[in-house]
Formats: sequence, structure tokens, C-alpha cells
Amino acid sequence: MKKLIDLKSFSLGLWKENPVFYLMLGLCPLLAVSASLKDALGMGAAFIFVLTGANITVSIIRRWVPAHIRIPVFIIVIATFVTIVDYSMAAFLPPLHRSLGVYLPLMVVNCIILGRAEAFASKNNIVNSALDGLGMGLGFTLAILAIAVLRELPGQGTVFGIRVLGKSYTPFLIMIMPPGAFLVIGFLIALKNSMGRRKNKC
Amino acid sequence: MSKKEIITGIIVLLIISMTSGCLLSWVYGATKPRIDEQKKIEAARINREIFPEGAKFSDTITENGMTYVEVYSADGGLAGRVFDVTSAGYGGPVAVKIGIDGELRIKGVRILSHTETPGLGSKISDIGFLDQFKDKFGNTLCLKKDSAEGTVDAITGATISSRAVADGIKKLQEKLSRAEK
Repeated sequence: MKKLIDLKSFSLGLWKENPVFYLMLGLCPLLAVSASLKDALGMGAAFIFVLTGANITVSIIRRWVPAHIRIPVFIIVIATFVTIVDYSMAAFLPPLHRSLGVYLPLMVVNCIILGRAEAFASKNNIVNSALDGLGMGLGFTLAILAIAVLRELPGQGTVFGIRVLGKSYTPFLIMIMPPGAFLVIGFLIALKNSMGRRKNKC
Repeated sequence: MSKKEIITGIIVLLIISMTSGCLLSWVYGATKPRIDEQKKIEAARINREIFPEGAKFSDTITENGMTYVEVYSADGGLAGRVFDVTSAGYGGPVAVKIGIDGELRIKGVRILSHTETPGLGSKISDIGFLDQFKDKFGNTLCLKKDSAEGTVDAITGATISSRAVADGIKKLQEKLSRAEK
């Protein structure tokens, strides 16, 4: 049985069980929105909000939801939070809303969020579910920011839209196209695996 | 699955959908005025960017299947019009605002909204690309790679998006010059 407040539920998502580099979930928005740091940051923030909100709600209602309808219930909960983010962003941050485009509503079917609702929030108390949502959300944000830096810098010569490599620099175009994202993710996963080599090798 | 299980399932789903629906209709109502306002501000900002000398802008006019705003100069004369044009891009419709002066010259072009590939097609919003259309006529509005007379450089890796913008502008100008005759 888990403790009432288990800080591990927060820290696991950050690095060791990072949703991107360990669980390898939610790669679609990661490929699509990591071409520029600004978009990546906006996506990360939206992600933390939706994941935490959905985890808390799922944890509250977990005892009343019969097992055979849990997936549609989770989807409704997630869609509600995503739509709230969608409207609020359109109202208060229209430039970011424009550049995230269709990937914001697509968060409804993101497998990190559904995966955490199913694997964690539906089995744990509210505090731990909130911590798990925050941890996984931050883990995703860190991952998408890391990928965005490694794509925006070689691909456009800029960081947060500010030019850091001189004007004579020829952008490495493939980095801002989807294949660039795959390359960067591959290298980062290799790096993480070599740093924290798992003890029981197969 | 027993009858009881099915009925509890229906009731739980109903309660959750209703709660979610109520919550969302409240959020929608709360953000709607602001979203509309943001859209208006954005459109007005673009109009002013295309016609910096414009003193007064009319409300949106729809006529002959064209949507536009009339721009008046400080002395009250008609300085030009800003048209709303939609053309088919790579990832969906591209909404373009095109400023045209009294002599049907392209005064300026801005992208209102699009769903092109981020980082590639999304560069159609870059001023450097859009300024190429200024003061041009007819076939010179084509992409260089599409026509011998074309003078517009397409964005690297985003030919379809670039062509969508060029086509939209060219078609509008042709339509206007036909109407003038």
C-alpha cells in the first residue's frame, strides 16, 4: 500500500520514468510542436495543467466509475480540461494559440494523459495523483524543451526566436522537419540509457 | 454484464457528461467575448499595418462574394480596400488579408490564420516573404518556379504553402480587374 503522500510519485516522472524518454508515450505532440522553443513551452504548460487536472478528477471519481465504462469517462474528463485550455488560450494568448494549432485539441487523445489516468490516478489517492500529474507534466515539459533547443538552434540558428548563430549560418533544415525530431529523440534516449544503465539487463 | 451494471454505467456517464457540458458552456460564455475581441483587434491591427496612412476603416462589407474593408485617407477620400481571401494551403485553408489601392496595385499582404506545418509552411507569415507581392501585377505574382514571368521566391520546403498565398492574391487581382472593365 502506498503512503498517503508519496513524493516519489512526483519525482519518478521527472527523470527516471520520464513519460517521453522512459515510457516513450505521447510522441505525436512532441514531434509536432518541438520545432520552436516558444511553442514547446506553451505546449508544456498546457500539458501540466491538463495532466494534473485530469489526474485529480479521475482520482476523485475513481470509486464511483464502474470498470467497464472507465475509458469513456476518462476521455470526457480529459476533453473537458483540454477544451478549457483551448478557449482560455484563444482568449488570452492568441499568438501561441495560433502557432499550436491543431495539436492543442489533439491532446484529448494523448496517450500520456490517458495512460496516467488509467495506470495511476484510477488506483491512487488525490494527493499522489496530483503529484504524479505534476511530475509527469514537468517531465514532458523538460523533454519537449530539450528537444526544441536541439532542433531550433541547428534548424533556425535561434533560441526562443533570438538569433544566436551569425547571419552567415546556413540552417540545417532537416532539424525542424519531423525527421529531425526523431533523430534528437533517439540521441536523447540513448544518452539517458547510458547514464542510468538499468541493473537487470535482459 | 447484468442489467444493473448497464444501468449504473449509463447513469454515471450521464452525470459526468452533464457536469462536463455545464462546465464547458460556462467557460465558453466567459471566454467568448474576449476571443471575439482578440479576433477583431488582430484584424484591425493587420488593416493598419497594410495601410499605415489610413485614417478611417469601414466595417466589413460583403459584395459579389468578396469580403473587404474600405480604407479612407485623412482627407476623406477612398485610399483602398483590404480584402479577406481564403485559399487552399498544404494543411488546410489559409486566410489572407490583401490590401489593394485605387489602381489595383497590391499594397500589402498579411496572413490572418493558417494550419501549415510549423517551422516550414508557417513561414508564409514572414514579412520578408509577404513583401515580395507589393506593387505587383498579373503573372509576376506567380512563384519563380511556376512561371517564367514569376518574381516571387517560394519558401524553402514549403512550395505548396507559398503557392497558395500567391494564387489567392493573383485570383483576387484578376477578379477585380475584370469587375473594373
